[in-house]
Amino acid sequence: MPTAAPVVHYSPPWANTHIIGIAGSSGSGKTSLALKIVTALNLPWVVILSMDSFYKTLTPEQSKLAFNNEYDFDSPSSIDFDILVEKLRDLKQGRKAEIPVYSFEKHQRQPETTTIYSCHVLVLEGIFALYDSRVLELLDMKIYVDTDADVCLARRLARDIKYRGRELNGAIKQWMTFVKPNYELYVEPQKKNADIMVPRGIENITAIQMIVRHIQRALQKKSKEHIDALRKLNQGIEADEPLSPNIKVLKQSNQLNGMHTILHNRETTREDIVFYFDRISTLLVEKAMDHLEHVSNEIETAQGLPYTGYKLATEVNAVVILRSGGTLEVGLKRVVPDAKIGRVLIQSNARTGEPELHYLKLPDTLHEHSVLVLDPQIASGASALMTITVLKDHGVKEENIVFVTYLASIGGLRRMSKVFPKVRIVVGKMQEAFERRWIDERYFGS
Amino acid sequence: MSSTPVTTVPESPAAAIGPTYKDTKPKATVSTPVHHENVHILPQTPQLIALLTMIRDKNTVRADFIFYSNRIIRLLVEEGLNHLPVISHPVTTPTGRIYSGVKFEGKICGVSIMRAGEAMEQGLRDCCRSVRIGKILIQRDEETCKPRLFYDKLPEDIADRFVLLLDPMFATGGSATMAVEVLISRGVPEERILFLNLIASPEGINGFATKFPKLRVITAFVDQGLNEKNYIIPGLGDFGDRYYCI
Repeated sequence: MPTAAPVVHYSPPWANTHIIGIAGSSGSGKTSLALKIVTALNLPWVVILSMDSFYKTLTPEQSKLAFNNEYDFDSPSSIDFDILVEKLRDLKQGRKAEIPVYSFEKHQRQPETTTIYSCHVLVLEGIFALYDSRVLELLDMKIYVDTDADVCLARRLARDIKYRGRELNGAIKQWMTFVKPNYELYVEPQKKNADIMVPRGIENITAIQMIVRHIQRALQKKSKEHIDALRKLNQGIEADEPLSPNIKVLKQSNQLNGMHTILHNRETTREDIVFYFDRISTLLVEKAMDHLEHVSNEIETAQGLPYTGYKLATEVNAVVILRSGGTLEVGLKRVVPDAKIGRVLIQSNARTGEPELHYLKLPDTLHEHSVLVLDPQIASGASALMTITVLKDHGVKEENIVFVTYLASIGGLRRMSKVFPKVRIVVGKMQEAFERRWIDERYFGS
Repeated sequence: MSSTPVTTVPESPAAAIGPTYKDTKPKATVSTPVHHENVHILPQTPQLIALLTMIRDKNTVRADFIFYSNRIIRLLVEEGLNHLPVISHPVTTPTGRIYSGVKFEGKICGVSIMRAGEAMEQGLRDCCRSVRIGKILIQRDEETCKPRLFYDKLPEDIADRFVLLLDPMFATGGSATMAVEVLISRGVPEERILFLNLIASPEGINGFATKFPKLRVITAFVDQGLNEKNYIIPGLGDFGDRYYCI
């Protein structure tokens, strides 16, 4: 008996998140700067995290002070650095992080959370972004926004009065009692931790361009590393190595071969493509159902006699890898019409070929159920690896995943079973070589 | 419908089937084996057993009965179509590659034995758009207790076609035998008849396969046996009633 092949680790592009810290006095323009950077980058995987989310919940006494403008929100002790560090570590590892939601009306952490997942770049902004040594260790770039104190005061007063409904006297009292002393004591000393000082905040266009270029270079490097890592997954695989027993290929019968021919013929009309692909996708989903967990089911037949059969152990959910996964949905609905369906949009970058996660929406209870993942073609296997990584990060067990595909390259299948050996893969037809995606074009006609 | 179990019929084998990664597999009763080359029983996969369990269960409501039996019927039709011949047919793919494929040879038609067989027409149409369908009505003659042909309407060129004969329940096989005789009398060669069936009795199917050795039978499950009223047991009751009426 050969020993089981070692499991290879796949690291998604959002692992080792690039984290940028932006600190500076209240009113210095940190938030505006962060927004400016994100707008300039214009990528869906750049996310801003405000440290305001990490204020500690106040005790009733503290809360009373807060309502009288007598609570010190501008001291590092008001921030829950332990939780912040925990969440930043999760994100750095590429894991999902539940970010607390803080209510300024109630001075309390709310029961709900916001999820951050799969960002490549995280911009952490807050007056104490460069304060805690554990946070500093996690930052890839440290920015301090250095704006004149009188400008900061003017901006803060305008904001407090205009948007936060404060009185002028209260706002000035807060500035004199807390903001200014804390600034001198805790905020300004962070300058020595900074890599870059940005005087004048968002008015400093040169500085912003510099920062953006720096981040773009970091993103390019990450993208190259991701592509290289994907390429490396092929190394050490012998050409004649047998395929994993978890790869289940449909029996290549006469009828199936006839349908393959119709689908592969470029002369076939779209009407026929849709009809025959729907037939095959129904067979694929039926086959996938055979590989879900079943339990014994004792029933009484309509004849009044006992019979021991089976039923599915869990509900069946599905995840469609868009766009092409949509071609398998008719088959899914013929077999499991009420399956809850999650959707993931992964596109290959036209220039680099790197798969990129653009959109993600999953049913909340996905981790409790069996999950069929639908994608009609496996070429390099990169988008499949990314999707399974996403599912595992959302608590789905590897052994509960059945991947359903029509055309699969042997290389792509080998990569998948090397990284996720417990995932079962149902295949309509094997292919020797990588081939560009064409099924969705033919099926959708665009 | 009440009936007493018959003790003389052989017990169906209890087997453990299911995912290979599991060490302990739950038990379920699978099809009785049949040793005739022309009888093809669908692979007894966990999901097929689960589908059959759904339609056997007396508590299954009609909407579910229809949905789950349609799923099995589609699998039967797909398996049946696999027995049809193909010829070589190379084509060019959208990526410009030559693909050495095959194409279907010969025309087909469906013939349903009324009324339960008509319930299988939807599954046939799901796989073969615009397929021609003939019908045969056979009922038991109250005087002789023998099946009697009341009505048939078949495609005119049926002798040139492969025939998928549809009947979900195969107990003694009286009607199916008569239907095959009708088809042969219209010039359909025996080897071009495929009989598609959900649940069969072992005694019925063995007799049928011996009588028509060149015809092919595709069935999802061969049950334990027949009771004194010639109903299949443990069975699923009257298929036509459950599909159309109850």
